[in-house]
Amino acid sequence: MTEAILDAPTLAPETPGRWLEHGFEALYALSWRDIEDVQLKALQLQFDKFSTSVAALEKLARREGVTRVDSVEDALPLLFDHRVYKSYPLSLIEKRDIPKLNAWLGRLTTRDLSQVDISGVTMIDHWLDRLDDFGMLVGHSSGTTGKLSFVPRSKVEFPAWQRSYYEAQRATTGVDAYTDPVETFFPGYRGGHQMMMKMLSLFNIPAAGGPEHYHTLYQGHISSDLLSLATRMQVAEDRGELNQLGLDPALLQAREALLVQGRRREQDIEAWFFELFEEFRGKRVKLGGSFGDLVKTARSGIAKGLKPEFGAGSFIMTGGGMKGLKDAPDDWEGYVKEYFGIQNVGMFFGMSEVMGMSPRCSQGNYHIMPHTIPLLFDRDMKLLPREGEQTGRYAFFDLMAETYWGGFISGDQVSINWEEDCACGWKGPRIGPVITRFHEMEGGDDKITCAGTADAYNEFMDFVAGES
Amino acid sequence: MSELRDIPIIARGRILMPADGDAVEFKGRGGSSFRSPDPHKHIQDLVLGNAAHLADLNATKMADIIEFLAEAGKRLRLEDNPYLQESFTLALQAGGLAEPILRGVYDQLPYMFDGQSLTAQAEQTIGIPYLDGWVPAPAPHENVRVRAVGTRQLHITAGNVPVVAALTIVRGALTKSDILIKSPSNDPLTANAIARTLIELDASNPVVRHIAVAYWKGGDEFMDSQIIRTSRIDKITAWGGMSSVKHIQKFLSPGIDLTALNPKYSMSMIGAEALESEAAMEEAATGVAVIAGFFNQTACANTRVVYVESDIDEDSIEKLAAFGRKIVTAFGELPPVISTPFEKPNEDLAAELEAAALEDDFYHVEGDTLGGGVVISKFEDRVDFYDQLNNRVVNIVPVSNLREVAKWCDDTTQTVGIYPEAIRDELLDTFSLVGVQRMVSLSGSDPMQIFHDMHTLPPGMPHDGIEPLRRNVRWVIDQRPASDHTQMMSIAAE
Repeated sequence: MTEAILDAPTLAPETPGRWLEHGFEALYALSWRDIEDVQLKALQLQFDKFSTSVAALEKLARREGVTRVDSVEDALPLLFDHRVYKSYPLSLIEKRDIPKLNAWLGRLTTRDLSQVDISGVTMIDHWLDRLDDFGMLVGHSSGTTGKLSFVPRSKVEFPAWQRSYYEAQRATTGVDAYTDPVETFFPGYRGGHQMMMKMLSLFNIPAAGGPEHYHTLYQGHISSDLLSLATRMQVAEDRGELNQLGLDPALLQAREALLVQGRRREQDIEAWFFELFEEFRGKRVKLGGSFGDLVKTARSGIAKGLKPEFGAGSFIMTGGGMKGLKDAPDDWEGYVKEYFGIQNVGMFFGMSEVMGMSPRCSQGNYHIMPHTIPLLFDRDMKLLPREGEQTGRYAFFDLMAETYWGGFISGDQVSINWEEDCACGWKGPRIGPVITRFHEMEGGDDKITCAGTADAYNEFMDFVAGES
Repeated sequence: MSELRDIPIIARGRILMPADGDAVEFKGRGGSSFRSPDPHKHIQDLVLGNAAHLADLNATKMADIIEFLAEAGKRLRLEDNPYLQESFTLALQAGGLAEPILRGVYDQLPYMFDGQSLTAQAEQTIGIPYLDGWVPAPAPHENVRVRAVGTRQLHITAGNVPVVAALTIVRGALTKSDILIKSPSNDPLTANAIARTLIELDASNPVVRHIAVAYWKGGDEFMDSQIIRTSRIDKITAWGGMSSVKHIQKFLSPGIDLTALNPKYSMSMIGAEALESEAAMEEAATGVAVIAGFFNQTACANTRVVYVESDIDEDSIEKLAAFGRKIVTAFGELPPVISTPFEKPNEDLAAELEAAALEDDFYHVEGDTLGGGVVISKFEDRVDFYDQLNNRVVNIVPVSNLREVAKWCDDTTQTVGIYPEAIRDELLDTFSLVGVQRMVSLSGSDPMQIFHDMHTLPPGMPHDGIEPLRRNVRWVIDQRPASDHTQMMSIAAE
């Protein structure tokens, strides 16, 4: 361990965003136990800065009586729950009350959003465009629960965020996006403010070598307005009152187009992939998409007797999501490798709220880099000890956040092994391959009550959200 | 904590215990585990494949059925019924309801089997003559007769309040029907306890010979596909969420009638008068505390959102906050048989309240998920987590005109508390049309009286806007040749 420290670069607590500049190898040579102090120092600096400049954190800290952070434990009451990123009333979206939404978002960032020009803005998409122009990079969830959450990231974080993505790709596939552009295919939208779409267009276009080398299934951007209003519009349509919502006609047209497109989605994906098979036969490519997209395409290809042949060095970058796919093969990865003839499948664990990606190692584990302080909680929200292997609800402090508070508690249940004995040779706490949603099973296997507590379910919402 | 409890299948008078080679385990609420005979091996014990076998119950007079139920009712007393005691203990461990409330609920059981009340129920819903025989149509159509005939019913029951099990057994018997109860994992014992009490009383009674009780996991496609067939089931009553209905929906075919008693979000409407005097505010707050707090807000009829006729300027919101504080105080003063404080916070809801409290431009929060609380919207809309309101927490929503509340109503809006009575008539018809199923009064200031009145309905009243008893029988027509006399009369009339 001492040797690793000697070889390793000094990690400056003031600039966690630059720790990766020496490459992931240097960071994975470090034991988390040896960098706890510098992580804490970085967290203290973040707290000192944001507790006076991020209004939401200021208020939470005051309420929890936290005035200083002398240990990671001191900062636990300050972890933002997913609700904080969507604590605005839904009616603000429905009425497209952009000034109030903007003021609400302003409480989550150090940037003075009152300076954003929102004059004449009546759509969420346009508001988010204006925020981008102002220097923000706000991404939102896909709204599967009926309400969008907004992560108040900005362009200040962009270089570090991008490096984290590229280094994760290099770690898990061996391909360096900075020096080795590859034709990239993604079976979805070209962009949009939904976080995944935003990330992919921000990172994939440069990594592919420019927009002409980035091939997406749809040429349009996913609409935040449609995502956020889908449920409401469906209800209004059921009542025959869609026209009374006072929506921009352009939005109604966009919705129609999306519905049509959605119905054709399966065929579109197929057609697009087959085109890819022919035009790029024998060439080197990078394939993206969810597990489900890849499995579905492989299945329809097999059914039609088609077999792709890509050039040497091709690879797949994929992550999460069997959504909309029934009877996924147990060994979906082997299935996909076999069909596409691509052995190099890169994966990482990440989420909208954290910039640090955790790439998958040769042993199938996701190693966490030093710029993320990982935490696990049990059902009673007690911190689990950092030793051995623990399973619980995943939370973290994202030390790369420079304009917003990076403490967040997720809805994912993961297992973390703290022992740094992974056969892959990388150090750092590692997340095991099984990642599930954390939720309580209080009612047993099959609880039934007459009181309405189930989440509202809406097929249209699911359908639209399923695009990502 | 992880004690393994054996739960039998009740199969028409027989008690089938789990045994080696015939057992499945499942998890209940609060970490408890159960063992049951494998339902996959007992399909024939659970269903009545031949509807003609209902003949015994069909031939039994209503008076005899009711006499039997009433006799059973005398044995459904918690203090001397070991089966109920076991079910009670388990329900208590599960932690949904505190001891005094749960005791109050179990104490209701004998009354649910009261002979007079059952007679009135059968008479006023279906009519006993229709159940016991063929009833001629009014003259001159005496040649046409109608009878209400029993059916084969599957009941997928809710477990949040144990009376559902009793209600199901009573309704089955009053419709002279064969019932199969699929128990919920959060109350796997109450239906068993009642059925076993009936078996001890007389295992050969036709009522007993048409009760089956089992647990299987929701979404068990093998069970659903075996049971939900027109050859085996005529009617299904499904309590609970969309998921429980969705599972069975794919097996439904014409010939099987589904009654979906789906989840409800009940509410209250409070007129501006409630905020005009200290006394009115207190009276309304007590009423809201009772309707939101009874059974610790686990029932469908519990108010979760309170719409108050109010402006949204600062002074008005301050008034609402004062009203909210009175509600929280009133929660604390409810008699323990109605409602009790919680021992553990509701983590998810508490997190919602915390997030809301941080947004003081939009919300104001009083109280918590232990003693009860309110979250006040400072604009005309309910909180986005309204479907998570529990633990005696309500959302107070100001509206300029109570009629506007209709836009938030649909078939899931079951019970509406009203204060003061003066606003009722103006709202009644509109709200009936948009889905509301019952309007009750919050007036009176005496929690026990309000609670009692709220729960006192004449026998045979509609349930969730429908009449389950009438719906669960088959209405059969016996049309004989018209008499010469009738024919003559009709010819003469031409």
